[in-house]
Amino acid sequence: MNNLWIPIILIILAPLLGGLVYGFERIIKARMQRRIGPPLLQPFYDFLKLADKRKMIVHSAHAFLGIMHFVSLWFALAVLLLGSDLILVIFLHLLSTALLILAAYSTRSIFSHLGANRIAISILAYEPVLIIIAVSIFMLTGSFDATAAFQSEQPLLYKMPLAFIALLLVLPIKLKKSPFDVAEAHQELTGGVELEFSGIFYEAVYTAKWLDYVFCYTLVYLFAGNNILLGAGLIIFTFFYLNALDNSTARVSYKQMLRFSLTVSFSLAFINLLINSLT
Amino acid sequence: MYSLITLLFVVPVFISLLLLVVPKSLAKPLVITTALLLSAVSVYLFINSEGVYYFGVPAYVNDIVAVADIILLIFFGWIAIKRRSWIVGLMSLLQLGGLLYLLNIMPAHHSLQFMADKLSLFMFLLINIISGIIAVYSLRYIDEEHCSPFRKKYFLSTIFWFIAVMNLVVSSDNLEYFFLFFELTTLASFLLIGFRKDEVSVKNSLTALWMNQIGGLAILAAIFFIHHNGYGEATFTNLLANAKAENVLLPLALLSIAALIKGAQMPFSKWLLGAMVAPTPVSALLHSSTMVKIAPFIILRLSPALKDTPVANVIIALTGFVFVAAAIGALSQDNFKRILAHSTIALLALMIMMAAVGTPVTITASLILVLFHGISKSMLFLNAGILEKVFHLKQSSDMDKLGESGPFTSLVITIGFMSLLLPPFGAFIGKWMSIESLGALATDKKILGALIMVAVAGGGAVLSLLYFKVMGLLIARTGENDKIHFEKTGPYYAATTYILLGLLLATVISLPFLLNQYFAPVTGSLTGTALTIATEGWNIYLGTIKLPLVPMLIAFLLLPVTIIAAMFIRFKKVDRAKEYMCGEKVNYSFSSFYFSTDRATPYFATAGILFFVALIIVALI
Repeated sequence: MNNLWIPIILIILAPLLGGLVYGFERIIKARMQRRIGPPLLQPFYDFLKLADKRKMIVHSAHAFLGIMHFVSLWFALAVLLLGSDLILVIFLHLLSTALLILAAYSTRSIFSHLGANRIAISILAYEPVLIIIAVSIFMLTGSFDATAAFQSEQPLLYKMPLAFIALLLVLPIKLKKSPFDVAEAHQELTGGVELEFSGIFYEAVYTAKWLDYVFCYTLVYLFAGNNILLGAGLIIFTFFYLNALDNSTARVSYKQMLRFSLTVSFSLAFINLLINSLT
Repeated sequence: MYSLITLLFVVPVFISLLLLVVPKSLAKPLVITTALLLSAVSVYLFINSEGVYYFGVPAYVNDIVAVADIILLIFFGWIAIKRRSWIVGLMSLLQLGGLLYLLNIMPAHHSLQFMADKLSLFMFLLINIISGIIAVYSLRYIDEEHCSPFRKKYFLSTIFWFIAVMNLVVSSDNLEYFFLFFELTTLASFLLIGFRKDEVSVKNSLTALWMNQIGGLAILAAIFFIHHNGYGEATFTNLLANAKAENVLLPLALLSIAALIKGAQMPFSKWLLGAMVAPTPVSALLHSSTMVKIAPFIILRLSPALKDTPVANVIIALTGFVFVAAAIGALSQDNFKRILAHSTIALLALMIMMAAVGTPVTITASLILVLFHGISKSMLFLNAGILEKVFHLKQSSDMDKLGESGPFTSLVITIGFMSLLLPPFGAFIGKWMSIESLGALATDKKILGALIMVAVAGGGAVLSLLYFKVMGLLIARTGENDKIHFEKTGPYYAATTYILLGLLLATVISLPFLLNQYFAPVTGSLTGTALTIATEGWNIYLGTIKLPLVPMLIAFLLLPVTIIAAMFIRFKKVDRAKEYMCGEKVNYSFSSFYFSTDRATPYFATAGILFFVALIIVALI
């Protein structure tokens, strides 16, 4: 079981990896805007600084749910990397997001509530696409296990290109990137669900975003089968695509996002599923 | 054994009559002892039963049944005249005509009219235990209702009568008997829905009446075709024995239609949604242990014959559609009970779908869903009643202060919702097995399988969003009150809630054991093939279906425990801050989000009608 070590190391290092991705992203984004940008380790410096702040919370349930959001997201990621059932993974991911929504609802903060509502709408926008992708993978490999996709001789990309495009279209929603960053929408919501967290308690929500990076890029990697080079290529491509998109587009309203996602992205993935089940 | 089963029929009828005459002080011990007795008998029967029990009744009972049928239909006709409802009148006339015609052409009965197999005993368990708890709860609830003392007695009496009729429905083999009891459940629900006698109640009870009468009509038609096709007497046994015969699809489709109507599948969902006007114990009764559970029962009973037929495929497609449509419909609801009603329709769709697929694993999934849905929903509805009577809350958006004024009730409701949603509670396992086993369907009917999987998974996601929306309100609190004081709701309310809570937790903990000892035999008796259950490494195998046990167990520790712990956990030595309001002083009224999905409802109804038409068409060709 030599193979088991790779996912375990990845799981343990996931927050670090995510942090690095985030740091690198800030540099790339800055370069695209002809700025120099922060150092690569800036996210970690921020992390240390946050730990030193005065501890303030709205109430305990809120702070606790924020921490558990991080823990359950890490768990969902671990289940994915260990190659377990994709439906379970998607479900666990949904639940970890739901904990954050619950946290936001538990306060009496306007912006938290608005943010939570928008996250719920985002879930409605991206979740069906992820589920269709999982079902398509089942149709192709005969198993819901992520392992089946990781070990597939022929990269799934060739069989489900439309689903991959659909994934590219929903990833910005999940990672809260423009044009679909309605859930965070700093100018409108001052951070939405994150607003009421501070200091060491914000740390959990902050690093959970790093985990989300690793989660999303693992989903991208699923499409490469056992072809590591292709997987790396896909990840790099997705990385530049996401940042270019983030830099070059303006935010749409949440209604537009939902409509776009449920018509365009959903249909693309669905057509792919139909083709997969016909052949 | 036979005498015990008969006890389940006779005792509730007797108690029902007795409750009409005894004074209030006697009613309480009477209801409690009867509930205990019926529960004990049903548990004993389920544990100690072996094989199938057939039993007949003397010939004169056949005449009584026929006469009772006619009287009942005439009574429906009288209601139609009294309430000036032409559609109820039309249905009653059609049924009466059909019944008289059938009585004329059918030969006298010779075989046995009742059959109690493992499935019936399983249903006894659900009906008697859950309904018993609801009856005890009603003792207090009906006390607070504004109506005359006689109507209070009448309410309790009707509940026991309902229990009796349900016990009879699930154990009758002869379809004529089945028709009578089916119609009697319709009558019981009609009376209970119309209990409050106001305009809306009357209107909704009439809707429930005529919709369920269509189901009765379908059963009559099924009897006719069974007789016409020459399968012998119209019994379930004969129908299943002729499962491979020509033209068998039509009676099967007709009985399935009766089931789908009872199960409030679209476009017939209106009657169940309308039933909300009744006192809350009625909703609990209709949703959890009686009435709607006839739907999965019929389909489970027919599943050996239905499996792999075009009729089953249409049922699967219909229920897949209903699952998503009901979940979407629920998003626009604010009334707490209506949210629960939509989720009942969605979960019923899932149960019926699983029963229609008909493999051992899906049958087990269906059974698990039936049982756990019964426990969770009755708990939720009973607490909805407590919300109404104790806290005077009906809209879910008003519940945002419940976390502080009624922490116990809000905790119980949260657990109830989680039990419908999260691992490792039963409904989750049921849903999970549904998705996984539909994979098996997908190997030969790929497109249908793929579509249904998307429907189940997508509808599941929408439903979880809905549940979290409500849970978000229940968990809300200000930072000011840090101490939790559980509220007092009175002995009847508290006791029933504790019992249901205990039942839920006990069944969850013992699920692997229950699966092996109790669900597998029922499945075995239905499908004829035993379900093998084995554990291997991380996973538990049910037949060929793999359940990743370890991740699920960790998920259990993580999620429900987290949410419950969040209500109690207190961080020490941390400063408190007020919420950020952007420097404004506004009085913001908090509520939840809605989606105006109401516009889609007519389309859903139309699609539902098309599915029903398709059901008949595929049966004909």
